[in-house]
Amino acid sequence: MSKAVRVDVMEGARIAFFSLGANRMRTVLTTVGIGIGVATLLAIIGIIQGLNASFDKQLASLGSNTLQVSKFPWVIKGDWWMYRNRKNFTLPQVEQIRAQAPFIAAISPIVGRNGDVGFNGQQLSTVDVFGVTQEYFAIGSWQVMSGRSLTDADNAVTRPVAVIGATVAEGLFPGINPLGRSIRIDGRPFQVVGTLARKGKLLERDQDLAVMVPFKTFYSTFGKGRPFSISMAVDQGQDIRKAEEQLVGIVRRVRGTPPGAPDDFSINRPEQLAQTYEQLTGALYGVALGVGFITMLVGGIGIMNIMLVSVRERTREIGIRRALGARKRTIVVQFLMEASAVSAVGGLLGTIVGLGTAKVVSLITPLAADVQAGTIMGGVGFAALVGLLFGIWPAARAANLDPVEALRYE
Amino acid sequence: MSQVNGAGSPRLIDVQDVTRVFHVGGEEVRALRGVSFGISRGEWVAIIGQSGSGKSTLMNVLGCLDTPSSGRYMLNNKDVSHMTDDELAVVRNEEIGFIFQTFQLLPKETALSNVELPLVYRGMRAKERRERARAALAKVHLEHRMHHRPNELSGGQRQRVAIARALVAEPSMLLADEPTGNLDSATGEEIVRLFEELHRAGNTLVLVTHEPKLAARCPRAIRLSDGEIVADGPGRQVALGDLHAPPAQAAGGS
Ligand SMILES: Nc1ncnc2c1ncn2[C@@H]1O[C@H](COP(=O)(O)OP(=O)(O)O)[C@@H](O)[C@H]1O
Ligand SMILES: [Mg+2]
Repeated sequence: MSKAVRVDVMEGARIAFFSLGANRMRTVLTTVGIGIGVATLLAIIGIIQGLNASFDKQLASLGSNTLQVSKFPWVIKGDWWMYRNRKNFTLPQVEQIRAQAPFIAAISPIVGRNGDVGFNGQQLSTVDVFGVTQEYFAIGSWQVMSGRSLTDADNAVTRPVAVIGATVAEGLFPGINPLGRSIRIDGRPFQVVGTLARKGKLLERDQDLAVMVPFKTFYSTFGKGRPFSISMAVDQGQDIRKAEEQLVGIVRRVRGTPPGAPDDFSINRPEQLAQTYEQLTGALYGVALGVGFITMLVGGIGIMNIMLVSVRERTREIGIRRALGARKRTIVVQFLMEASAVSAVGGLLGTIVGLGTAKVVSLITPLAADVQAGTIMGGVGFAALVGLLFGIWPAARAANLDPVEALRYE
Repeated sequence: MSQVNGAGSPRLIDVQDVTRVFHVGGEEVRALRGVSFGISRGEWVAIIGQSGSGKSTLMNVLGCLDTPSSGRYMLNNKDVSHMTDDELAVVRNEEIGFIFQTFQLLPKETALSNVELPLVYRGMRAKERRERARAALAKVHLEHRMHHRPNELSGGQRQRVAIARALVAEPSMLLADEPTGNLDSATGEEIVRLFEELHRAGNTLVLVTHEPKLAARCPRAIRLSDGEIVADGPGRQVALGDLHAPPAQAAGGS
């Protein structure tokens, strides 16, 4: 460091530090202004990061190597009727797909409905009732907690048995072992043969408010005509995108789709949900940045005002320093350091308040706030930068004072 | 023009035909109308004149706080009339020690910190700075007050802190603008005694005053009137019009 730079920085820092303590009221006011900006920004970012983290967890619960072939896409773009007119899949097609796609580790048809599930006078509504085969449990990453899973035998002889999700088990059987009990699904009796480990929420939907019954039992109980989808898991280590590409050709062949015609089915991946989710939070981020920008602008103008007052109050001091040999640059550095130091303190307080807010939000709402260390550093650094920027004009004014006039100032 | 010291030593100050014109609302105020003089090392010169005669303006130019509108000002063999702002700041730091009527101390800093300030801008390390500031305060007999703030000191003590600050960086000259103006006569006398001490120690002193009695105690005085030099000679003679004054040098010691 050259001598001149050392003088500028050391003395600037000393004066800035000194003046923070000497002008407490001013420091507090500036700090509050910038702190509010940082706090707002951080609270919003914290909540978004929390959303992201929980969404990632939810997506992971679907399994990263799963695909679903269906009449309907998960994310419907355009006309729903267009998809409705597609032909339904058939069970032989499921077997043909399995035979032609060597990269498939497990495959199962899946059909679902919303139903009321009751036991002993207790009733749960809007329960997801799925008709699946034995293989589905591996595809959907469902762990059996107690009892057993569904078997091919259950399916073959259309046994009225059910494996129930954790929310259903807790809701209908508080303190009771559900195994062997008879529940009613939309009035039809099913015997509970197993319970499932909790998977958690997916996009605010409780995945554990679900009941699994054998695929064929589902149809024989709740009627035919309902279209089913085909869930599958690809081999570990298999590139899911390549698998998807190959699958398109296989499914077209199996369904006899004429060459040149558009696909008459959809291949769904959890990642597609992620894209929709990102579009959604992208907009949120935009709003957050806008709000943050405006609050920082307000805070920055506050700093500028207070620095201008500070320059006026210290006109004589500036004159004295100039007379004793301070160069313009030294004065500029002094005021810039002061402005950014005040702002950084504000940023730090704002960070604490912002994190606190995010924490409180995550405690009293289902949103889970999650702030990363980088965000905190960013908050303080950004505040200091705002102080620096808005300090430029006051600092330049201080440096450009005529020393003779400044010494005469009362 | 008088030159007190021997012709051999180069002049510390050489002012040639310096003017300073202010523009106030379209009107020209000619505060200095072409002044020329020299000051050698070790001299003690009073600048006197009525209020508005241009004393402070001259003082600001000599102190490199202001630059002449025309003319040439050589300080320590450097032409400072056309220097940039930053160059002037360096010259002020190295060549000039200011003493103001209103002391101009930083109110929130201790006497010691105030005295250190010129050395801070010279880039001196803290330890050496503190030692020198202490020594300078000792020269003005204020070692025992160095940790006091200005508002804990009397007027005379404050001015002595200011003098220590002016001395600390060992400048080529001390410039004092009405240094006793805000002090009662007894305290003012203390300060004048201190100046006499500094003069005997070999410092170059320029003292702006409107008090003829004070100017009379200086070996040399320059009288300004309406922006022009109207007299330049032994202090007693110029200040009191006493043509039979004893040689100025003798007046200092008593
Ligand atoms: N910054 C300035 N702007 C305009 N006029 C000034 C300024 N400084 C001094 N003057 C004028 O110059 C003249 C000399 O002023 P000054 O040097 O302060 O006199 P003194 O110190 O002898 O009282 C006065 O007429 C004064 O009004
Ligand atoms: Mg004056």
